[in-house]
Amino acid sequence: MKLSRRKFVKDAAAGAMLVGGAPAMLGRALAAEKVKLCSLYPLSGAFAGVGKPGDVGAHLAMQALAKDYGLDIDYVSIDSEGNPGRGVAKVLAEIQQSGTKFFAGAILSSVALAVGAEVHKSGGVFFTAVGADEVTGANCNRSMFRWSVPTYGAIQETVVPLIAMFPDAKRWYTITPKYVFGDSLLRNAVDVFKEKGIEHVGNSYHSLTETEFSGYLTNAAAAKPDVLLLLNFGSQSTNTLRQAADFGMKNKIKIVMVWAAGLEQYQEIGTDVLDGVYVGCQYDVTIDSPGNKKIVELFKRDANRIPSYASVGGYICADLIMRGMKAAGSAEPAAVIKALEGMKYEGPTGNEEIQAFDHQCVKNYYLLKGKPAAQKKSSDDYVEIVSFGKSFLTQAQSLCKMA
Amino acid sequence: MNLYLIQVLNGLGIGMIYFLIAVGLSVIFGIMNFVNFAHGAFYLLGAYLCYAIAAATDSFWLALAVGPLAIGALAWAAETRFLCRLYRVEHMYQILVTLGLALVIQELVVLIWGPIGTHVSAPALFRGVLSYGDFAYPKYRLFVIGFSAVLALTLWLLLERTRYGAILRAGTESTEMVSLLGIDIFRLFSLTFALGAYLAGLAGVLAAPIRGAEPFMGPEALTIAFVVVVIGGMGSFAGALAGGLLVGVVQSVMSSLWSEGANVMIYVAMALVILLRPRGLFGRT
Repeated sequence: MKLSRRKFVKDAAAGAMLVGGAPAMLGRALAAEKVKLCSLYPLSGAFAGVGKPGDVGAHLAMQALAKDYGLDIDYVSIDSEGNPGRGVAKVLAEIQQSGTKFFAGAILSSVALAVGAEVHKSGGVFFTAVGADEVTGANCNRSMFRWSVPTYGAIQETVVPLIAMFPDAKRWYTITPKYVFGDSLLRNAVDVFKEKGIEHVGNSYHSLTETEFSGYLTNAAAAKPDVLLLLNFGSQSTNTLRQAADFGMKNKIKIVMVWAAGLEQYQEIGTDVLDGVYVGCQYDVTIDSPGNKKIVELFKRDANRIPSYASVGGYICADLIMRGMKAAGSAEPAAVIKALEGMKYEGPTGNEEIQAFDHQCVKNYYLLKGKPAAQKKSSDDYVEIVSFGKSFLTQAQSLCKMA
Repeated sequence: MNLYLIQVLNGLGIGMIYFLIAVGLSVIFGIMNFVNFAHGAFYLLGAYLCYAIAAATDSFWLALAVGPLAIGALAWAAETRFLCRLYRVEHMYQILVTLGLALVIQELVVLIWGPIGTHVSAPALFRGVLSYGDFAYPKYRLFVIGFSAVLALTLWLLLERTRYGAILRAGTESTEMVSLLGIDIFRLFSLTFALGAYLAGLAGVLAAPIRGAEPFMGPEALTIAFVVVVIGGMGSFAGALAGGLLVGVVQSVMSSLWSEGANVMIYVAMALVILLRPRGLFGRT
């Protein structure tokens, strides 16, 4: 069919209007209802040290990005108090009283799993950055998305490169919290040990309330390992590392902390203890990617701080929900979920992608090494990147069977 | 050296810190019949004052000298201003008020120093380890054991060889009789409360280089203190020492025998002591 000039001009004009006016039209469509985005972090209690940065990051994302996405976002913070019962109660109140459908955050896996289940019942969307495999594994659901790398990837990107770097280090000892998350890290570590011919010379479990690790470190020293692998997290990994340094273990063996919380934890541990220790982390401020450079500039400009894993986790979870709304052209959770599945984007760690089958973001996990004081470029320059990579279970291996 | 022998030595080291945390609480409860839930907060404050003074002056020793005194003074002020009004009320109200005081102190710590924990370096003199064959033990922990032993001896001398100690010991038997003998019982209470807080603060200062200072370490110390006091017997100095060492050794040895249960075995030990000797190892009827 011959295209007439009149038709061509008409179609081109219509196309230009559509493209040029789309953000405005989208904005008007979504702004007709001011969309509520609720962040859920421990703002009080033992986990406030990482909860508050998470909330700052989420708020910053909303302030900086909502307009660009053509969105009118109403931001609400909920204090989960680091307690699943209290966190869920507050989320339920928010859902029932305000009809809020979009939630981001959680620091503890127990809170995230409980909240994720409730958000799913209400047909909302929940984006989190916690660690337990179950979030995008056995307990996955259509409402829940996760940005952070779970335990399989954390072990693959820390233990495997270290085995390659130190081929003579054949004897590894583990210290593990007796908890689902700890068992998951241990199971993945043991699988790698078997595959790589590493001798697992011993493991000490400890309770989640433990603060005195000298007994476990004495067990470890008695087993004469080449590497001490810390599978605990938070203040427990801080105390274990600190006490291992006290016992002179840093001078004799390699110490690896698989699951570090980032800058806040490095500040707590201190340079002299962290020097020479290998840590695994979801994020580092020195990541060389366009997405991270943008985030670092934004944090320095608008929040007067260097971004950490906790704050970037909050930022990206909120950002991705908004990207989903923009891509869907709607604030309907079902449409946002569909838009997020398979989404590829420039994230803090470079090119990232949201897997459709389990709602897990495929991103890098980092192996870092503590710097000596003399090599620090600034007071917050604690670590350097040794290696990084993406390791995730395939759909066939995954325990996630989403309805 | 045998692993279990090392664990016992380890346990003695931990136990001395537990003794320091608990002895103040034991004396306060024994003398004043006063349940002090702010005791852990004094320990917390001790750790943070250690951090603050050491950071400002680069001297752990100054922190060790000044920190506990400051906490003792704060406790004296709290006792003379409002805690003294609680002596004649039920224990429940004492718990409520002192728990409130503990929460206020904790939140003030968060307000001043932030929610993230801090690192405190051991004094330069005691950095590093002492090695004996394959066995290496931190010099600082050896210092803590030695210092606590000297302090325990000093406390014993204070209780056994001074007039104040005699009054304190009499007070654990009967405060009414002490009062009838013309001794200002309220001044005794203030001094005792301040001493107990001083000892808790001292424990916090000594513990800071071992486990750092973080805002939620108070409840953990309080739990241990109550366990030690129950095991050792309320109001008993010897009981606090025996209880602290027993808890430390149980925790340490169990980390080799049943690592995930090491923490729970402390409470099993407490339950066994209560069953076999309800008043504690050195408690009076």
